[in-house]
Amino acid sequence: MHSLRFDGSFATWRQAARRALLQGLAPHQLQWLDEEAPPSLFDQPAEGAPEPSGRLRVSPELLDLLESAAQYRGDERWSLLYRVLWRFVQGERSAVLAGDPDGSELHRRLKAVRREAHHLHAFVRFQPCKIPDAPDFVAWFEPAHDILASASGHFAERLGKHSWLIATPRDGVYWDGQHLQHERRCPAQWQAWAQQPEDDGQALWRAYYGSTFNPARLNRTVMQQHLPLRFWKHLPEGPLIPQLMSEARAGAQRDGQALVLAGRKGKRIAQINEGDAARPPSASVSGSDAPDLPR
Amino acid sequence: MQLIEKLTILADAAKYDASCASSGAPKRSSKGKDGIGSTNGMGICHSYTPDGRCVALLKILLTNFCLYDCQYCINRRSSDVPRARFTPEEVVTLTLDFYKRNCISGLFLSSGIIRSADYTMEQLIRVAKLLRQEHQFRGYIHLKTIPDAAPELIAEAGLYADRLSVNIELPTETSLVRLAPEKNVGSIHQAMHSIHLGEREAKEERRAPRFAPAGQSTQMIVGADATDDSTILHNAQSLYHDYRLRRVYYSAFSPIPQSPKTVPFEAPPLLREHRLYQADFLMRGYGFSATELLAGPGNLALDIDPKLAWALANRAQFPVDLNRADESLIARVPGIGVLSARRLGALRRERRIRYEDLTRLRCVLEKAKPFIVTQDYRPPRAEHESVVLRQQLRDTPAQMALW
Ligand code: SF4
Repeated sequence: MHSLRFDGSFATWRQAARRALLQGLAPHQLQWLDEEAPPSLFDQPAEGAPEPSGRLRVSPELLDLLESAAQYRGDERWSLLYRVLWRFVQGERSAVLAGDPDGSELHRRLKAVRREAHHLHAFVRFQPCKIPDAPDFVAWFEPAHDILASASGHFAERLGKHSWLIATPRDGVYWDGQHLQHERRCPAQWQAWAQQPEDDGQALWRAYYGSTFNPARLNRTVMQQHLPLRFWKHLPEGPLIPQLMSEARAGAQRDGQALVLAGRKGKRIAQINEGDAARPPSASVSGSDAPDLPR
Repeated sequence: MQLIEKLTILADAAKYDASCASSGAPKRSSKGKDGIGSTNGMGICHSYTPDGRCVALLKILLTNFCLYDCQYCINRRSSDVPRARFTPEEVVTLTLDFYKRNCISGLFLSSGIIRSADYTMEQLIRVAKLLRQEHQFRGYIHLKTIPDAAPELIAEAGLYADRLSVNIELPTETSLVRLAPEKNVGSIHQAMHSIHLGEREAKEERRAPRFAPAGQSTQMIVGADATDDSTILHNAQSLYHDYRLRRVYYSAFSPIPQSPKTVPFEAPPLLREHRLYQADFLMRGYGFSATELLAGPGNLALDIDPKLAWALANRAQFPVDLNRADESLIARVPGIGVLSARRLGALRRERRIRYEDLTRLRCVLEKAKPFIVTQDYRPPRAEHESVVLRQQLRDTPAQMALW
């Protein structure tokens, strides 16, 4: 058994895997130890060993697949990748297909990684940051897979010339308006900026969220399928969710109106007849709140 | 009135419109540019409300003052609800602020009818124009089109909006006359036609002005009147055909406060709405026709999904040999989707399909089993009556309670 220790990056793994393939090491002869594996007596550094000679041909598509799947955090993170690569190089092309036992696991991981990138795009919440030297917007996020580096470019397209950063418990990204900097260990300063207390602007969003919800359609299961519990605590609307649910369940109200508006004094509008002249605005509303009158 | 107060009222007033998607826009990016906003064709749901619905856009009315008296609508003029009106600048501020916080991917703006159809439409356009021109906003914009608005205004709206929509509201003209007396089927279709023409011109003539690249959609309210699913699906099918709509949204009628006697005050028919969406998806993505799904008058089954219902009614087409059949026929097998059908196609070019391949592709085997043949499997229950199969395959009450 060869235990190969490396830094947990795909680039280093790729070099090491290449070397192992050229040495003809079968998947069951290898143990991959990334930075999270506890050190052991028999570790061999993956780097620095003499380069065996030989040629390997691996399609760029397969490399892309492996690189994406490598973002998956979980057991056998690296050994599955090596097994797929090994079988593919041996001519077993089905190793990468979703119908194959290894391929199926590979695709499950690819899907989980894509889904997590999507979660990042959906559920990151930026907050304007007024601290000198800090970027315009900051966000804290806790992704389940290592998608931050590859999926963050999306926000550079959204936010134009604004600078921003996303800090996580592990890594972090910083966009200064022109370049994206990724740190595998998120600097403490970035983490501090990202964990500022909530600003006033979040109240507007919460008001919107509460009102756009239709209590007559309460459906907790579907909601949690799409918005897993682990994200709630980082969303400004998070604390509101259980509250809205229990109010709706209590059934105080069977129609769709938001509870905060229920029973409030309203305003009926007079029927408009052909040829009606313009009427003075009613006393209860004024300015831009007033209705337009028929021409 | 405070901005937060207006927002509370005007989001509540807008929530009954289900069409909140942010998909279909061309690729746009603000990287290194002034302004903000991007689109990439795919929609993003930035949150979900406890009703399980996606929050993709800031969905609000410009105002809920309305001169019309549509019986199913909380904003009808005879309704005793708090009223408010945003200025265009307020809508712009809210959109940009929420957008930067990554709470939304854009704006879906509609309005009660104030003064006249044209005036109302002009107000909506003004917001979109401000966002696009003054603020160089490149995010998603969906504008509701007021049916009686002049064609020039619709053309102008198409310059700024990604999507335009005119609501068909009710599935039949009789119901529209009864429940929305000021609305008119003719002008709704006329507006859809104008949008369709605008889209076609923009596509076919290179120098034609930009026009709503994410196309048009509509919404039909289900359960406010007595129309059956068959009429609804046939109606949707002609809308897809006549105006190339991107989507028909079905909205289970939700009871409204101080409900008039003309509409039901009952829990919204959510399971029925769900079955209609499934049937609609089969028409858009799988090549099913409305007649295949519901040959005569009546409603879709609630206990089984429409694809299974079709398979049970067409046993002569089954079982399907996964090693031989066309991918399009494989996609018609209950429990096997278009993607799995394509993957089976790729796999069988390498080797023969076996039963356990379906497990790995995560097909719904319970449903697929009676309808397929693989190299090592034939359905033992092929001779079983459809009635018995239906008993075994129906969604359990627990699953149905989801809806
Ligand atoms: S026109 Fe009808 S549906 Fe639209 S806001 Fe007014 S009352 Fe409601």
